[in-house]
Amino acid sequence: MTVTTIPKQSLIGQRITKRDAPEKTIGQTRYIQDMTLPGQLHAKILRSSRLHAKIISIDTAKAAALPGVHCVITAADVPEQRPIGVKKDQLPLKTDRVRSYRDEIAAVAADSPEIAAAALRLIEVVYEDLPPLTDPKLSKLPDAPRLHDAPDNVALTFAYKHGDVAEGEAESDFVIEDEFSLHFVTHCCMGVSGVIAEFEPSGNLTLYSNTQVPFLHKRDFAELLNIDPGRIRIIQPPIGGGFGSKLDIYPFEPICIYLARRTGRPVKLVFSREEEFIASPTRQPLTVTLRSGVKKDGALTFRTVRTLLDNGAYTSWGATTPFVMMQTFSSLYRVAHCDYYTEAVYTNNPYSGSFRGYGNLQATFAVEQHMDRLAELLGMDGLEFRLKNAQDRGEVTLQGLHFKSCGLKECLSVAAERSDYRQKRERHQAQQAAPGTIKRGVGMASMLHVGGGAKIYPSDGCGSILKLDDFAHVTLMTGASEIGQGSETVLAQLVCEELGIPLDAVTVINNDTDITPWDVGVHASRTTFVAGNSAIGAARKARDKILAAAAKVTNLHADQLDLRAGYIVRAEDGEALMPLAKMLRSLHFSDMAELVITSHYYEPPSKHQDKDYKGDVSAAYAWATHVVEIELDTATGIVRLDKVTAAHDVGRVINQLGIEGQIEGGIVMGQGYAITEHLMFEDGLCLNPNFRDYKLVTAPEIPEMDITFIETMDGEGPQGAKGVGEAPAICMAAAVANAIENATGVRLTSLPFTPERVYRALTEARR
Amino acid sequence: MSAIERYELPDTVEQAAEILRGGDVTVLAGGTDLMPQMQAGRVAFGKVLMNVRRCAGLAGIAVEAGRIRIGALTTITDLLEHDLIRRHLPVLSDAADKFASGQIRNMGTVGGNICNASPAGDTLVPLLVLDAEVELVSKPDGHLAIRQLPLRDFFSGPGRTARRPDELLTAVLVPMPPPGFRAGFAKLGIRPALDISIVSVAVGGVVADGTIAGARVAFGAVGPRPLRGTGTEAALEGQPLAQALIEAAACTARDEVTPIDDLRATAWYRREMIHSLTKKVLTDVAAA
Amino acid sequence: MSLLREIRFTLNGVERRLSVPITMTALAMLRDVLNMTGTKYGCGEGECGACTILVDGQTVNSCIMFAVDCDGREVKTIEGVAADEQWRPLREALVEHGGVQCGFCTPGMVVQASHVLSKNPHADHHAIKRGLEGNLCRCTGYKKIIDAVAAVAGEQEVVP
Repeated sequence: MTVTTIPKQSLIGQRITKRDAPEKTIGQTRYIQDMTLPGQLHAKILRSSRLHAKIISIDTAKAAALPGVHCVITAADVPEQRPIGVKKDQLPLKTDRVRSYRDEIAAVAADSPEIAAAALRLIEVVYEDLPPLTDPKLSKLPDAPRLHDAPDNVALTFAYKHGDVAEGEAESDFVIEDEFSLHFVTHCCMGVSGVIAEFEPSGNLTLYSNTQVPFLHKRDFAELLNIDPGRIRIIQPPIGGGFGSKLDIYPFEPICIYLARRTGRPVKLVFSREEEFIASPTRQPLTVTLRSGVKKDGALTFRTVRTLLDNGAYTSWGATTPFVMMQTFSSLYRVAHCDYYTEAVYTNNPYSGSFRGYGNLQATFAVEQHMDRLAELLGMDGLEFRLKNAQDRGEVTLQGLHFKSCGLKECLSVAAERSDYRQKRERHQAQQAAPGTIKRGVGMASMLHVGGGAKIYPSDGCGSILKLDDFAHVTLMTGASEIGQGSETVLAQLVCEELGIPLDAVTVINNDTDITPWDVGVHASRTTFVAGNSAIGAARKARDKILAAAAKVTNLHADQLDLRAGYIVRAEDGEALMPLAKMLRSLHFSDMAELVITSHYYEPPSKHQDKDYKGDVSAAYAWATHVVEIELDTATGIVRLDKVTAAHDVGRVINQLGIEGQIEGGIVMGQGYAITEHLMFEDGLCLNPNFRDYKLVTAPEIPEMDITFIETMDGEGPQGAKGVGEAPAICMAAAVANAIENATGVRLTSLPFTPERVYRALTEARR
Repeated sequence: MSAIERYELPDTVEQAAEILRGGDVTVLAGGTDLMPQMQAGRVAFGKVLMNVRRCAGLAGIAVEAGRIRIGALTTITDLLEHDLIRRHLPVLSDAADKFASGQIRNMGTVGGNICNASPAGDTLVPLLVLDAEVELVSKPDGHLAIRQLPLRDFFSGPGRTARRPDELLTAVLVPMPPPGFRAGFAKLGIRPALDISIVSVAVGGVVADGTIAGARVAFGAVGPRPLRGTGTEAALEGQPLAQALIEAAACTARDEVTPIDDLRATAWYRREMIHSLTKKVLTDVAAA
Repeated sequence: MSLLREIRFTLNGVERRLSVPITMTALAMLRDVLNMTGTKYGCGEGECGACTILVDGQTVNSCIMFAVDCDGREVKTIEGVAADEQWRPLREALVEHGGVQCGFCTPGMVVQASHVLSKNPHADHHAIKRGLEGNLCRCTGYKKIIDAVAAVAGEQEVVP
């Protein structure tokens, strides 16, 4: 008899292809836009044609009479409406007042989208205009009209403090202050928003939704319908991009549900691209006034930060981004004194949601420009200055963030070295005044972001159920949704690693709240970390069960056994003792019928911050440094990105292919934020709700990308990994700003760096 | 909802002209502008939608009596890749290369681009410096009537042209450039691809011993229609293409355009960019 | 309702005959009339490439093409490209190189990339980037898509 030995092999760090990729390349993946249920009706929403007005009357009679129209609703038809959003400050269908052009007034369900659209044109609304408010500074004036029951139109405030900034300023040898201004951009998921609602005769609701937080939304929808949450099932078809845009309930979802309830038919509501631009959330626009000080020896002394957020007409997650911003101000570098205060002020503009990076692009834009400015005042190299103030592993910041793993210094050094940052910076600076219109510049920026979940809700946990069948095929049921980022693949990898089975022996179920265990949702770069730990927990229980059973059969101790390549092996020499499938069958067929089903709930060891925002919010933090190299034509103001050298402390790489894809995609999204994208408004009206004039980066524009992963092996992370989804977008705009300064000597504090804005700044600087 | 009552698919120019004579006809060529305009409700359709795709004689690029005849249905891709254009009118293939995207270049036609009469139309600016003429066919009284009109007289405003409602634009005719003719085109957009010009500039002329003669200059997106820069042409005419002249001509260009502010750029920036691009193109032409 | 017109054309090698409203887009015909949902709606204005199909061997944005304009022509969609063994290496390369994330742009990318390679089997990185300039992707940052197409074009080194 031949003895087979199986060496220990690991999937961790390999280039694992995405499990759902093959079907996507042949057009077989069925997104929500592609679904049709029998008897399905199509819904459209009538939005306000006024920026700010009283609704005097709405006449839907003609629309209701149009053949093919099944139902027309206004606020008056849905008395069960409840306020939605972070501050519960809007009803899905507006009653007596509109506060922005996106406001929902009426909705139609019809046999076809065309009939629904035609019906909308027949609805007559009489308005009485109210004074517009589109500038948050003006909204705060005492005589400004109140948009909601909020003093000075202030929707939310955040105040954070450590130390005493007056003391810090007194100690400072140099003090600088700047105002930074950040613009509206939006997610631009390639798949537009959509939802299908279907009621069973019993009154139970099935919602086909692209939400990133299905379990939280179950409860919210139940409240909106006044039914038990247990009667709501959310199924998540594959999604055409998320990026944070689907973390809140937006009015189209309850509206679609109300139409389904009234018609007794499945109702599908899908946006047009124009609607997507007008009526989906944006990234939070704001101004930051940052005052920073430093001592001659290069030690940061204080930061005073005032941010003013344009809250828009209602409150969604965008208004809460100061929660993340303050961490960058207080803790990206060591700073002895910090005073942060922000106000989110109602206007008639669109409202912002969460968007990859969650306020951190904006905060980093300000902080990292000040790092360059302070270094210059000190006559210090920007890298050296950053290294001097950088955090270390084991440190607890004055805000109370505990950096159990921290690769910032490695990120700084590696990115600088690989890009030849110092030499290039000197060379480009020397060329600023040289003849010719083409200038080159290099700029650096670093970032700190949550990498181990984020304690925002009462729990930050995720459940997993693992089922092993008698052919050694495993089904992982996880609460964590796949939104294109590759979580399904990573979770399968982590399970295989524990059970020694091939990847194709795992099925992942992750899209049905009736089946999968509870999870907070896909946000805050948390899925690999939280759902990964959860899946590992379930897999380890299964492994223990199997090895305990195998120990009995083999007369070895469980810790002398291992699972490899579908076999139970002797750990010492890898000798295959029996196929795993056989072992499982014997368990299933034994009189005890020990079916191997395990479950695990993982809650990261982080706490809620206190009321002063002190304390840890995440079980781990991710770090990164980007060095960008640009070419700038002073004759046109065109900024071209040549190369990005990125170093990311990711804890550990689980899937090399997937993580590269996250970083590359984030870099290019950050490039768009910095250079090409700008959602423009004039008096609250969107001027460019289309891809013609809202300019995403295209393939010819992408930079060369050199990406290094710093593996700090976080003690809490699954196999040592930390979250990384948001990180790569964060540093880009700051680094580009620093590169423009290096190329031209001109510092731009206002985004985006489109040709005219750059050219204008250069022209003004020359005057 | 559409008010179109008839869909026509003529096989010949004569049939097309006959249909046009009936009046109230919307002509469909590539559709790249027509369909988005229709969906946005920005175009008023006639009672008849006439698709000219099958019309014989509207395709193809050929030399004809000392001119290059570019059929109205020639796609932008054809323009980019056709040997005759590359050899004799490289400025036109260069403009085609900077046109929208591969898919749009495959659909969009030269005739459609001209009739759409966008002030920013990418092929129009180089065609103006090439002294192109358009060929218009009608059938006013039972007989085919053909007229040729210089392109610079064809545009009357955004989306408006000198084409009569009963006329079909069948071709654009470009004189074979004289020996020593050089031309250049530059387009400014936020992105290199998929972009509408903030401004565009084309310059052409015969350069001999460093001196430019027969200078022609055209600008895009700085007025209600693509324009010839007659002031800049006069400043260049017969002058040696030295750096000082290029700078002076670029200033003249900047001063002779009267652009407007819109969401893509302010008038000030457009003027500045006319200066920068004119300078760039002239420098390239001088160095060619 | 819009005027109807009967058209005949070849769709992925199969003769089709149907009546379509004359103002309908080719995209709506494919998705809503023929239930072929592989071709995606991304913008409706020819600005994103998600709806790319082949008509007479040339790629076009089906969202701005009149359905009636398919009459008498040869139309190939992602479903047709997917069934074509010639493009198996392209599809596999996209998977292997990580060129797919949310996947919504992927069908359009595959169709356009197949066209780029048809016209220029040894396209270099520059030609590939230019070839894909009309296809927006919000997830990948394009690099892995470009690398995948380059790998098929036989260009071994991976230079952006």
